[in-house]
Amino acid sequence: MKLVRDVGLLYQRKLMETLRNPIYIVMSMLTPVLYLVLFSPLLKNLVPTTGGRSVLDLFVPGLLVIVAFFNGLFVGYGIIDEIRNGVIERFRATPTSRFAILAGPVLRDTTNVLVIVTVFTLVSIPFGFHPDFVGWLILLVIIIMLIITTASFGYGLGLILKEEDRLSPIVQGVNLPILLLSGVLLPMELAPTWLQVLAHFNPVYYSVEAARVLCAGTIWDAKVGYAFLFMVPLTVLVVAWATRAVRRVVA
Amino acid sequence: MPDPVVVTKDLKKYFSSRSGPVQAVDGVDLEVFPGEIFGFLGPNGAGKTTTLRILTTLAKADSGTATIAGFDVSREPGKVRRNIGYVGQAGGADRPATGRENLILQGRLYDMTPQQAKDRAAELITALDLGEFADRIAHTYSGGQLRRLDVALGIMHRPKVLFLDEPTTGLDPQNRANLWVQIEKLRDMGVTVFLTTHYLEEADALSDRLAIMDHGRIVAEGTPVELKKQVAGDTISVGLRDDSRNEAIATLLGQRPYVRDFTLDDCRLRIVVEEGSKVMPDLLRLFDQEGIEIATITLAVPTLDDVFLNKTGRTLRDTESAGGGQ
Repeated sequence: MKLVRDVGLLYQRKLMETLRNPIYIVMSMLTPVLYLVLFSPLLKNLVPTTGGRSVLDLFVPGLLVIVAFFNGLFVGYGIIDEIRNGVIERFRATPTSRFAILAGPVLRDTTNVLVIVTVFTLVSIPFGFHPDFVGWLILLVIIIMLIITTASFGYGLGLILKEEDRLSPIVQGVNLPILLLSGVLLPMELAPTWLQVLAHFNPVYYSVEAARVLCAGTIWDAKVGYAFLFMVPLTVLVVAWATRAVRRVVA
Repeated sequence: MPDPVVVTKDLKKYFSSRSGPVQAVDGVDLEVFPGEIFGFLGPNGAGKTTTLRILTTLAKADSGTATIAGFDVSREPGKVRRNIGYVGQAGGADRPATGRENLILQGRLYDMTPQQAKDRAAELITALDLGEFADRIAHTYSGGQLRRLDVALGIMHRPKVLFLDEPTTGLDPQNRANLWVQIEKLRDMGVTVFLTTHYLEEADALSDRLAIMDHGRIVAEGTPVELKKQVAGDTISVGLRDDSRNEAIATLLGQRPYVRDFTLDDCRLRIVVEEGSKVMPDLLRLFDQEGIEIATITLAVPTLDDVFLNKTGRTLRDTESAGGGQ
């Protein structure tokens, strides 16, 4: 089927790009490692842990989620470069499916995130992270939805704004509140009520909450249900919106 | 005459701006025939690119129709896309990949098998002399090399029409000349080429037929020779030693049947004639007989800029500095 083949071809194109510049993956890996080394020790005396769980069991699952979020959000810069070089327009003048023009790069980003998340999980285990394997696999599904959503959002923004100077304030403006309200850095239980209420409007918050219970080995939990309930429609919505942006982009 | 491969009828498109709607394309009627290089000349902002974007399905017209190889651009965009090649102003080569990879991917997106795409890429690399750089990453290409790859990408799937939007903008004179040779090669391959340009020399040198566009309208259409003939005629400019005989000169020129028009002020005489090279000897003899002393004499044949001036009241070179977007 042409659609599947187009997605495959355009995925392969972006994957080659990453393989030729693996430094990008290494740099992306650096962020969670820095959090692990320079931030997680601060939590030790601050966050009460119970039942043989280490502070990393609380912190790393959220970090995995935020890695997916970070990696997706900033992809808009890459597509601006491609718009400027006429690449997107060239594809649009061919019979290539508009969805494939979006999906190829998004799948590459998903691959990157899966590699980073897996490696980072393995790196964290000797430091005291004890993920439940099945729970972790289900978490990957949530992470895949999150990276598809944020990468599509990033590409959509890039396609609409077309200039780095216009993209930056929006990306930064989205980035910080979502991070602060996600409960990754510190659990939201420590927050005053109004802040907790605010967090419930943050899609990443549900994923972080689900990530913690999943890595602790609880699969049938309302928090996991909420994450899926939130992420599935959001993913569909954002992908549809970004595909529309591909269809409409004017150089 | 064979059926035209591009036909537009009363094509219109507006853009909204702060000061109200702008008529970017204002009733364009065009026909392009198989095998010709059709030039679309006009200043920046004349509506050339917008017209091209409508023809290549990248933008939608507000009214009017356009068909490519018999397919309507708004109703059958998929079929139109299979029949056209498009090289935009920005080019379109993917910089982190090699030229060959770019070509093969392009072929695959047009449903070629991997082997077909590979063979066709090799064929074009030879035909368009991309050999020395085809297997390098496109990031390392010079502007001229990138352009040649862009053109190869445009004809990878053997389209019925290739659209080139300002193909030589930003190239130095030598690379421009190279690309012209390249484009003429396409004609030899039987590719129909539709190109926009704001360079007079380019339109003149390459086009079999051309249309001149200004403010969203086509103001003239024909072969370069026809267009130039329609307008000014040739201009003979004469510098006189003194202006003492001006009245006599006016009388003499008035009697010559080949003089279409002339202006004389102080020592500068401009005579418009049909064919300058034929009448120059007679003029020189006349001045000699009458003892009118000539300091300089030059003959200027009309350019497309004279055509543009004649149709719009401005020269294309004037509009250049005014600039403006598409």
